[in-house]
Amino acid sequence: MTALEQSDEAIVIIGSGAGGGTLAYELTKRGIPVVLLEAGPYLRNEDYVNNEWEAFNQMAWLDPRTTSGSWRIARDFPNLPSWIVKAVGGTTTHWSGATPRFKAHEFATRSTYGRIAGANLLDWPITLAEMEPYYDKAEIAMGSTHVHGRKPLPANNNYKVFANGAERVGYRHYSTGPYATNAEEYDGRPASIQDGFNFQGDKHGSKWSTLVRELPRALATGLLDLRPESHVVQITHNAAGRVDAVLYLDAEGNLQRQAASMVAVAGNSIETPRLLLMSASPMFPDGLANSSGQVGRNYMRHTTGSVYARFEEPVRMYRGETMAGVIADESRHDPDRGFAGGYYLETISLGPAFLASFADPGAWGRDFTKILDSYANTAGLWVIGEDLPQETNRITLNSAVTDRHGLPVPNVHFDDHPNDIAMREHGYRQAELLYEAVGSIGAHRAPPYPSTHNMGTSRMSEKPEDGVVDKWGRAHDVPNLFVSDGSVFTTGAAANPTLTIVALAIRQAEYIAEQLKSGGI
Amino acid sequence: MVFPAKYPQLNDTSLTDDARSVLIRVLRVAFPHDSFPDGPYERTADTIMKAAEESTWFRVSLTQGLLTLAHLAGGDFRDLDEDAATSVLRRIESTEFFGFIRRTTVLNLYDNEDVWEAVGYEGSSYEKGGYVNRGFDDLHWLPEPRIETYDGGPIVEIAPSFLLRPTNGSSGTHASGESRAAANIDTNTQPGATSAEHAEVSK
Repeated sequence: MTALEQSDEAIVIIGSGAGGGTLAYELTKRGIPVVLLEAGPYLRNEDYVNNEWEAFNQMAWLDPRTTSGSWRIARDFPNLPSWIVKAVGGTTTHWSGATPRFKAHEFATRSTYGRIAGANLLDWPITLAEMEPYYDKAEIAMGSTHVHGRKPLPANNNYKVFANGAERVGYRHYSTGPYATNAEEYDGRPASIQDGFNFQGDKHGSKWSTLVRELPRALATGLLDLRPESHVVQITHNAAGRVDAVLYLDAEGNLQRQAASMVAVAGNSIETPRLLLMSASPMFPDGLANSSGQVGRNYMRHTTGSVYARFEEPVRMYRGETMAGVIADESRHDPDRGFAGGYYLETISLGPAFLASFADPGAWGRDFTKILDSYANTAGLWVIGEDLPQETNRITLNSAVTDRHGLPVPNVHFDDHPNDIAMREHGYRQAELLYEAVGSIGAHRAPPYPSTHNMGTSRMSEKPEDGVVDKWGRAHDVPNLFVSDGSVFTTGAAANPTLTIVALAIRQAEYIAEQLKSGGI
Repeated sequence: MVFPAKYPQLNDTSLTDDARSVLIRVLRVAFPHDSFPDGPYERTADTIMKAAEESTWFRVSLTQGLLTLAHLAGGDFRDLDEDAATSVLRRIESTEFFGFIRRTTVLNLYDNEDVWEAVGYEGSSYEKGGYVNRGFDDLHWLPEPRIETYDGGPIVEIAPSFLLRPTNGSSGTHASGESRAAANIDTNTQPGATSAEHAEVSK
């Protein structure tokens, strides 16, 4: 690994997950040196553990955060708004693997859905047609099943219940993917052994993550200076309004300065706006790149909910790939259902420890314990759909609460839009019908978990007044500042976000490389 | 019975064996699992009492709560049957005392192999080779489903009923990315006249 001088102006990427890790690889493979700052430690596949709470405490971003708003998370888990990772590889080490693409109209929701009261809808400045080549590249990189010749994963027990129920209620677009975990050896990584611990890091390395693919390859170029346990505090700028350095705390808590010719922020949709807000200065009083006032706003988390159904016969949902089951029939836009946008149904499974914590926080008594008593005979699925951007759903700095470094913690404010509530109700109902069709004897509706999909707090827009970055993820206000994670999502679509984050990062890397060559940055 | 002292610095109330036994009964009633032996409840009670040792606030609320349960129970809480005991707990479920017990129990009771075995969960699997050869697909009470993508045509992305609606603008015409550029799209987010179809939702 090449160590770059802190005084040399470097290309600095903040965050090593789906966006930052991909960007680092795509730049270094083109011969461009990169400093990659990662707040978390360097965990390897062999460090992971097959235990829910132990893995959570090992991997999760546990720095304090606060919450407000009418979402149930603010009551049940006031300091845990999201369930994301603080480690090398970011949340790609925790994700389960579903990789549906966005649909054409999901890049143009304002003009497709029309005006919806309370929603801050806006069309993306890019189209599906522009994204398609990058979706191809991302799917090939990640080894998505069902596409580009990749074999589908076999049906596990939870999928058998899910798919049979789907067929019986008339759904047709169900399958075990697309899913970025190997059904057979691919790209130097082995086939899944179906150990069932997707959320806990995947010890086997069958699941795509930047930890197993992009980062080792970037390091092999000799051009990546990866610095784990480097928590960025501020991005500074010069008199011309260009960013010139990044200040970060090292593992010992010492403040370091890395000079920068360009900075790409990819800290996930809570830390990215937090950092831009913490980088406010007399020249950028409302936060860096925030002349639109949209930094931190339009926070989206997908409309989610789970249904756990009980059967007379054993299911053992915990065996095998957690989310290798996707139903797309409800992902269409059909306002006759009573809401705009669509949703997917995807298999999900939790162990008893997490099911007890997340199935119905606050509940106790026999209604609660029967959820656990039926564990072996339970099948589970997750509703995941598009939630509408709202300006008031936002990340702000909570100056009254500080983290262990004395920095203001982010506050996450969220209220469901009526459209989100209508969609969730529809999803719950369809899931119950699906399970009834294969003989369920009862079902439990679990509320949304702490957010695993965090999007939209530095959104892309055609016009600088509508958003934070342009169609390349380049800040409207600061020419050598980029955002490279799901924060740039103008709207959230129904699909799991990781594939689109990776596709955007590949596309952005191409643009940055060209701009560096032509002197455009 | 000794009540906790008024001032925390004077309060070295330790939880007695009697209190522990009431706590175990509270756990049994609040989290009833007929298939669980006593072990998991005893283990969880000890975890709660240990956590209480580390926090004055929890210790005083736990001690006070366990002592005063008898007042609501009209006698020894342990003598109540499940229904009566549940009613007592319902009356105190919003207290700090019960919230502390509930949170700690949910986090600890179910995070142990003794309970996993009772509910039919197998725990760590990687060292056993996962389930690829150990029954990840051993469900046989339903037919084998298709795993491939549906081959009867792609999903209809926008409902035909939506596309057929009369619109005086560009709304709902974006079934493909190309059509966007050609249309004169209203993307205004400000209040005012708009030609877009209003897909309003009410619930």
